[in-house]
Amino acid sequence: MTGTARLKLLVLPAALFVLAVYAWPTLGLFRNAFNETGPTGAMIEAWSLKTSQEVFSDGFTFELTLNSLWLSLSATLIALMLSYPVALFLFRTTSRFRGLLAVIAIMPMLISGVVRVFGWLAILGDRGLVNTLAQSLGLISTPIKLVFNWTGVTIGLAESIMPYMILALLAGFGQLDRTLEEASRSLGASPARTFWRVTLPLSLPALALAAGLGFVLSMSAYITPKLLGGGRVFVLATEIFEQATTNTNWPVASVLAIYTLLLLLLLLVASNIAAKGLQR
Amino acid sequence: MSYLELSGLQKRYRDSVAVDDVSLSVEQGEAVALLGPSGCGKTTTLRMLAGLVDPDRGAILLDDTEITRLPAHRRNMGYVFQSYALFPHLTVARNVGFGLEERGIAKAEIARQVTEALALVRLAGLDGRRPRELSGGQQQRVALARALVIRPAVLLLDESLSNLDAKLRDTMRHEIRSIQRSLGITTLFVTHDQVEALTMCDRIAVMDRGRIAQIGSPEDIYERPATRFVAEFVGRANALPATRDAEGRAVLWGQALPVKAPARGAFDLFVRPQRMRIVPVSEPVADGMARVTGRVLRSVFVGDHVEVLFEGAGGQLTIETQSGTAALPEGTEVAVIWQARDTLPFARETP
Repeated sequence: MTGTARLKLLVLPAALFVLAVYAWPTLGLFRNAFNETGPTGAMIEAWSLKTSQEVFSDGFTFELTLNSLWLSLSATLIALMLSYPVALFLFRTTSRFRGLLAVIAIMPMLISGVVRVFGWLAILGDRGLVNTLAQSLGLISTPIKLVFNWTGVTIGLAESIMPYMILALLAGFGQLDRTLEEASRSLGASPARTFWRVTLPLSLPALALAAGLGFVLSMSAYITPKLLGGGRVFVLATEIFEQATTNTNWPVASVLAIYTLLLLLLLLVASNIAAKGLQR
Repeated sequence: MSYLELSGLQKRYRDSVAVDDVSLSVEQGEAVALLGPSGCGKTTTLRMLAGLVDPDRGAILLDDTEITRLPAHRRNMGYVFQSYALFPHLTVARNVGFGLEERGIAKAEIARQVTEALALVRLAGLDGRRPRELSGGQQQRVALARALVIRPAVLLLDESLSNLDAKLRDTMRHEIRSIQRSLGITTLFVTHDQVEALTMCDRIAVMDRGRIAQIGSPEDIYERPATRFVAEFVGRANALPATRDAEGRAVLWGQALPVKAPARGAFDLFVRPQRMRIVPVSEPVADGMARVTGRVLRSVFVGDHVEVLFEGAGGQLTIETQSGTAALPEGTEVAVIWQARDTLPFARETP
């Protein structure tokens, strides 16, 4: 056996695992997508496109898609703007607390999504921190609705994807060399101009990487839209869950799941191409 | 007042002093090397000049104007970084034109000056390339052109040749020196390579542990090192432990030499290997010559010279002789002679 062949063997356990817990169920999804739902709501084995036709002729699917895309886009952009300075600081700092600071930045990853949502309810609710504070300062007279609507979901989602985006940014900052900024300064560029002409352009690959990841995570997020949305926020992920569990309509859930998967695949490919283009 | 004045510059980091009381005057058009081992504070000094490091104490005056606290981007210093620091996302032309763009110069004028600068460093026609498509030597030239095109008040070169291979380094050394001379640009050159310092500069400041040990012309530094550190760091030298006799002469290996010994303390005699000559034992000693006898341990052919390891009564020393002369067989009894005035006594350092 050659060295490379032996090396490839190292991938085998992971490949088998993915095959068992991902590829096989996904195949099952594909199969279910061609089944039909009978008048009683029971699944009927079939090889037809009837379910797909139903799903895609329903205007609600289109609305869900727009909702998902818009929510993911806004959450990603907010998270990106908040993550970039943090990641830049962590990348740069020579503080001996750097390791600790990095752990703090990604700490939310260690907390269950459900717990974090309840944290947001305590902060953003009608009698939460923000509203109480704003009222006692006399800024508002009645509480502003910050949860159980799109605002709450966007805030919660942005927060939940930030740790991942910070990690992605740190991984993508390869070209960002302090000396380049010093060179820019020595050539007469002010700190602001240096950021604009050197730091930001060289961060673009990292920003693209982080944005891609944040977007995918937002698209597939379920807990945050479900709990912070209070039943008023409908996206693809919540609808798939409803169809699969409440309605036990597996064919429709399968069609929606595969549709979401393809949508994400398309976006990933596009963001990869964009990142490669920026790296040149 | 000189064109560039550094006075009493000091920089401390948490627990160490990087630069301690460095003062230096540089005339307009002069090329000065900051020479020293790594960690001696030479790069920190250069960075303070560029405004990339704030000095804790001291002042920098350029053309009678104090610039000690002026931000880097308003100093007009051309800095060539050790890693070249070319912008990877910009073409060669945009790299070179970067400083001109920041100065708000018209596009056509920038293009003209960039072309001129690239021609100066013999890179004409590479405008559209990206830095990573260039060889190390070409990147170095781009970095130089980028620093020169802004017509800097002072050109600062930080170990700029250390990433090049030996042959290219020779070429670049001469090229940079001739560009520096023809433009008459004041230059500060940080290096740990003595050949670079000796060949590229009008004066050398040898730095040791944050301080300037000696400032002088290359000849001064090499021929008349002021301290033991300079003698050891610049060029090669035999450091020979010696004693003194009743008449105050230095005694080496039991033989009194016509060399005055320091008044007190242990000391070593420093003699450059190429100042020593091997002669037959029978040759009489001329006036003003120092002489020790012993035998040849080993001869090593190094190309342009032969290194002879010699063993005398009290130790070993190395002699450099020109190649082409007949090699001496090992064990040959010989005498080693040198001019007494080529002997420099320095106090032994107590660790």
